[in-house]
Amino acid sequence: MAAIGAFCVSVNREICINARMPGKCATCAEVCPHGVYALDPITGEMNVQNFNACVGCRICAEFCPANAIRINPAESEYVSRYPWTLAAVEEIHYKAQTGEYMLRGFGTIGPTPNFDTITVVPSQIASAAPLDKYREECDMEVVIGEDTCDKPIRLKAPFVWAAMSFGALSKEAKMALAIAAAQTGIATNTGEGGLVPEEAWLSRGYTDKERTRKKWEPGGYLIVQWSTGRWGVSVDYVNAGDAVEVKIGQGAKPGMGGHLLGAKVTEDVSRVRGVPVGSDALSPCRYYDVQSLEDMKHMVAFLRDVTDYQFPILFKLGPSRPYADVAACIEAGADAISIDGLMGGTGCSPDIVTQGVGIPTIACIPPAVQALKDCGVHHKVKLIALGGIRNGLDTFKAMALGADAVGFGSAAEIAMGCRVCYACQKGNCPYGITSQKPEMRARLDPVEAGKRLANFIHACTEELKILTMLSGHRRTADLSPEDLRAMDLNTAAITGLKLIGYERPLAMWEPDYLPVVDVSGDGRHGRNGHNGRKKVGARNKRSS
Amino acid sequence: MKTIDAKAKGLKAVNSTLKKLLNGQPVAVKNASHLHGLGAGLKHGEVVINGSAGDYLGVLNSGATIKVIRNAGKYVADNMTAGTVIVEGSTEYGAAQYCYGGAVVVRGDAGDFTATMNKGATVIVCGDVGDEAGTYMLKGDLIVVGDAGKDFANYLIRGSVYLGGKWKSLGHNTQVEPLTDEDIAKLRAYFEKYEIDADPTVFKKIVAASEKPFYN
Repeated sequence: MAAIGAFCVSVNREICINARMPGKCATCAEVCPHGVYALDPITGEMNVQNFNACVGCRICAEFCPANAIRINPAESEYVSRYPWTLAAVEEIHYKAQTGEYMLRGFGTIGPTPNFDTITVVPSQIASAAPLDKYREECDMEVVIGEDTCDKPIRLKAPFVWAAMSFGALSKEAKMALAIAAAQTGIATNTGEGGLVPEEAWLSRGYTDKERTRKKWEPGGYLIVQWSTGRWGVSVDYVNAGDAVEVKIGQGAKPGMGGHLLGAKVTEDVSRVRGVPVGSDALSPCRYYDVQSLEDMKHMVAFLRDVTDYQFPILFKLGPSRPYADVAACIEAGADAISIDGLMGGTGCSPDIVTQGVGIPTIACIPPAVQALKDCGVHHKVKLIALGGIRNGLDTFKAMALGADAVGFGSAAEIAMGCRVCYACQKGNCPYGITSQKPEMRARLDPVEAGKRLANFIHACTEELKILTMLSGHRRTADLSPEDLRAMDLNTAAITGLKLIGYERPLAMWEPDYLPVVDVSGDGRHGRNGHNGRKKVGARNKRSS
Repeated sequence: MKTIDAKAKGLKAVNSTLKKLLNGQPVAVKNASHLHGLGAGLKHGEVVINGSAGDYLGVLNSGATIKVIRNAGKYVADNMTAGTVIVEGSTEYGAAQYCYGGAVVVRGDAGDFTATMNKGATVIVCGDVGDEAGTYMLKGDLIVVGDAGKDFANYLIRGSVYLGGKWKSLGHNTQVEPLTDEDIAKLRAYFEKYEIDADPTVFKKIVAASEKPFYN
């Protein structure tokens, strides 16, 4: 989808400096990291050499001193020639020429079932009165591992930064996320690319390794990720944070491991990961050292042991069979479970996988919540919803569906300055977020980007507070599906929410609508993908 | 030598006792085959497992020397960064995976996926290895004195793989190179150090064909 041929580059030659005075300006060719423009060395004329290479990052338009460049999506093509859009045609040409499939960054493109077809129900006279956002308090704290470990995590607001690795992101971007976590009291995550040393003290609010000067209050948390590639992992690494996250999968490419192409494996990245410079660091799709759920339980046991039973153990799931997968994580001993929906982003993935594999976020949450309820641990084992969460409104909806917190990945990159060009894998990010090139990285100031990220969290926190209080709650933990309504049949069918106007869940969600659970174990009739697992209740137990 | 009897004890109790006792003296552990993750994350000391060990023995080892008198289970020395693990018997599936450094010596046979994603350790198997040994190895040495199974050293990226016997099939992105004098000296030194009876001159050396076999 739209990895090439998706944008039209227009240069207004009447105001373009180069068009009037060849040789006088070559800004667009200098700043474009994708080879769209070419400067004729003899005539000094600037030309658009390769329209298809434009990814829509718009760095040329921003730098053009004459404001002569417009980058527009080839939108009319989508309407007039669908499904044979210009992008589809060019992609086939690319494959025919090279024999290679498309890779790209970021998440799913195009409409999928999402939070926009859910509306929030405010309080009026019949229900508990609304509360005053401006003059009353709202409790948003989320505690992970309260009963299971010595040092639980206490998030000041129900947000985390989604796991994004050093390698996928620049060092400066990783530092910015840590600084923002410290300023807002939330958690940042190493991702699977090892530890950027600064993350360890910046995330706690300190400016120096010795932790003598605390600059950012209240101080945040660092989650270290334990993943299938085990890049940069040692006993010191797993003890460097406040929690360990066991990555099973992610929304952008569930069933596959992390992809870091050689273009981004610089000497620094190579040193941390142990991969040769320029070699593709492709994480395995599964743990080579886990063959069963029993093994996973043992893995959790030794992770608790090497961290001296101090830290929570988190799991991160891709969007597959949310009910069964969440139940398995609970059985394995998770203190919190992140479930990353279809819209979850990435630094690099085969396009067809990001585009066409996995369950949308809104469809992941209800079965995940049901699994937590059936296991008796809803709101004890925390559920963190990831994948396409953009603001406090999406957060409220995810939490009212039953999640305890949400994670921002793509939105965090955008808060740092990303323009969503889907070309993170190339390593040319002109905003220095997903590039390892020194000249690009120099454009991202970690403190400034950290401030932008913290501002974003502050704004989303206020949005969540507004919605929580106008629906009559003093604590975000008290939100429930009754605070939401589905605005169309599809959403009501997917989520079990009451349908607007109808004011009830659809009949298929009513108790005893369907006969009893599948016990064959063949998976063909299983509810919520649980394949007849023992502890599982029938769908008619699901709350609306 | 102090001995911990691990019978009917859990991982937390045995590992915490082990850490306390490892103060400049070797410690023996017996009846520990039910424990998975024994000796996890040790930074120093010498541990002898009298009998067999369970899975994940010495996981995240970062400096200790661990010796198993009989067999070890799955994933022995998983994700080790430094130290030595010696198994006098055989190991099951996935020995010495994800290791960044240190040495693992298996005197008997090792199972499938041995030394997968080795990133710098020296892994020596005196018997045979199963299928897919040395998969996606990124650095270090894998030395197999006996025979190897299918897809040996599959998608090797860097490091050296030495085989004394035969393989069922050789993995992708590999090429066989003649042994150099340095290779023979290195193998001889390892064999002397770990008292292994093998002739280094008959080994085949396998290296990566390319450091970038996946995407152009």
